[in-house]
Amino acid sequence: MVQPLSGQAIYVVLLRELKRYWRAKARVISSVAQSIFFLVIFGLGLGGFVGGFGGVNYLSYMAPGVIGMGLLFGSVFSGVSIIFDRQFGFMKEMLVAPVSRTSIILGKILGGATTATIQGIILMTIAGIMGAFTPSLAFLAGAFTAIGAMLLITAGFVGLGVAIGSTLNDFHAFQLLSTFVMWPMFMLSGVFFPIDVSPLPLQIAMLCDPMFYGVELLRWCLLGVGTPLLGSLGWLISLAVVVGFDAFMVGLGTYLFSRTQI
Amino acid sequence: MGAYKINTIEVKELTKIFDKTVKAVDGISFNVKEGEILGFLGPNGAGKTTTLNMLSTLLRPTSGTATVNGHDILTEPDAVRRSIGYVFQDTTLDIDLTGRENLDFHGRLYGLDRNARQQRIRELLELVQLTYRADDLVKTYSGGMKRRLEIARGLLHHPKVLFLDEPTLGLDPQTRRSIWEHIQRLNQEKNVTIILTTHYTEEADYLCKRILIIDFGKIVVLDTADNLKARLEGDVISLLFKNPASIETFRPLLESKNWIHRINVVTSGNNYAAMSRMMHTVSTMSGNMDIGGAMPEMDSRTIGDHTKIPKPSQQKSEQPAADESPQFGGETCPKCLNLLVDKGGHRIPEIVKLADEAGVILESVELRKPTLDDVFLSVTGRNIREEKGSILDMVRRHRIIRQARGRRVRG
Repeated sequence: MVQPLSGQAIYVVLLRELKRYWRAKARVISSVAQSIFFLVIFGLGLGGFVGGFGGVNYLSYMAPGVIGMGLLFGSVFSGVSIIFDRQFGFMKEMLVAPVSRTSIILGKILGGATTATIQGIILMTIAGIMGAFTPSLAFLAGAFTAIGAMLLITAGFVGLGVAIGSTLNDFHAFQLLSTFVMWPMFMLSGVFFPIDVSPLPLQIAMLCDPMFYGVELLRWCLLGVGTPLLGSLGWLISLAVVVGFDAFMVGLGTYLFSRTQI
Repeated sequence: MGAYKINTIEVKELTKIFDKTVKAVDGISFNVKEGEILGFLGPNGAGKTTTLNMLSTLLRPTSGTATVNGHDILTEPDAVRRSIGYVFQDTTLDIDLTGRENLDFHGRLYGLDRNARQQRIRELLELVQLTYRADDLVKTYSGGMKRRLEIARGLLHHPKVLFLDEPTLGLDPQTRRSIWEHIQRLNQEKNVTIILTTHYTEEADYLCKRILIIDFGKIVVLDTADNLKARLEGDVISLLFKNPASIETFRPLLESKNWIHRINVVTSGNNYAAMSRMMHTVSTMSGNMDIGGAMPEMDSRTIGDHTKIPKPSQQKSEQPAADESPQFGGETCPKCLNLLVDKGGHRIPEIVKLADEAGVILESVELRKPTLDDVFLSVTGRNIREEKGSILDMVRRHRIIRQARGRRVRG
């Protein structure tokens, strides 16, 4: 039973995500504030001690990583929120409609990617105000490129969230997910320290973390530099990994969701 | 009179088996004519919702099939979904959106253009009298308002068929009444064919022309409400005794009268409420069976301190000819008896005289027409329950069906 994609169905699910995001202001504020604490406390505190890496000061070095953190948490949770949709019954309303599951889940993924990216833009602006970036025409172009990169980075992680949400059926899994999946991904993404000065086991772990490439990509967009480990084509490698991760996760999430009955 | 009307729904040998052992729906066949309201009446776990889920293509039947609005549920699920509106038993609204937004979402999902959406939303909000709250978040609505909004939503895409799963569950009497009136109006004004599940007999009686009584996944009886009640010819006389023990002496005297057709032990409240309590009792007793909490049908009224276990002394051996079901023994009214008699009005003096002669004191005597509750007791009380064994079997069945549902949700 292959059903065609419905543009209107994708759009309406996306629209719902945006409306819900817009209304959940407390959630938005608390997650933005969390990122700001990292920027201020680590950026200013640790920054004074460390100085900087590879010619950029510590606040600038860390800013793309903290933006990445907002993207990571925002997107995974928005994917996992299908658990809530099921728990509160709204999923049935979507599933009994004459539209394909693929349309529903693509709407969900696009919606999650959009809201997480909005969060990323807010963080990028705040980091800019704090002086993390050099204001210039080149930076402005980079910032717009970064918005595109954010959409690419988040799509894969919403897909991951949907895959997890389709498999688990339990609120308690949230805590496990946060502790064992999201925090390691965040801390290994190279947000606080560069990969090239890390010990080898850590380097390997970081290279296995999809978020590492997301942060690299943002760093290329916003600062114009990347880790020496990946060389001058680091941005291309990172872009390729991010796109590959997107394809895999969106595919997996869609597949797992389509097997759900009711 | 309905002979020329087409069948909007045709169900053939529909069967759903969960876990390879539990037949939630067991080879049922029936037709529903265009514009009809058919009531599914049955206790919890009888197979009502499972049937609706199959008819709405949410669940694949194990065997058998059905057509809805001329479309096969197996081969044309999309066309079936377009033809139906489904108001689920549990609320499926997005409570973080407004009422209007919930309707708008639905309209878009069903491919309605902007003008059609706006016009129908206005019209339906009017119909269910929610215009004044349309732009408030649904989380601020009362239970009755949510229910009305869901019914409106189910109609937004102009379905030919509407499935209402327990539409008034847990609502207060006034709200229930007003929802009944809405449903009736919809049926008449829009000629929507409706299948409604309920375990309130009075609801089925009020709304449905024909009633399908379903139990353990099988159709027990399908007939008009009037015919069902006519099956129990005569009147019901309810007796309230001062002393419960006197029932035992009085009963044989009653049984010797040929104008008394049946003697029923009275279950307090209705059958289902009694059963729910029973389920609750069993689950409290066994501790690890999470049945009580998993039964949304159970209203607060039934969750009292009914931890009484049926006394063996109250069971069959002492009440041979009666129609009671022993499973409900713990919930019977020990001071009451219901008699089904001919010409009830004329028999009251006779009964009173009989009581006087036997030295039995009656506190009250009441005469009434049989209700669907009486019908239900007569068609399922004895035949089904006693054949199929104990309450524990039923608890087990419930648990498996619930678990199967849970698993379906998980995917």
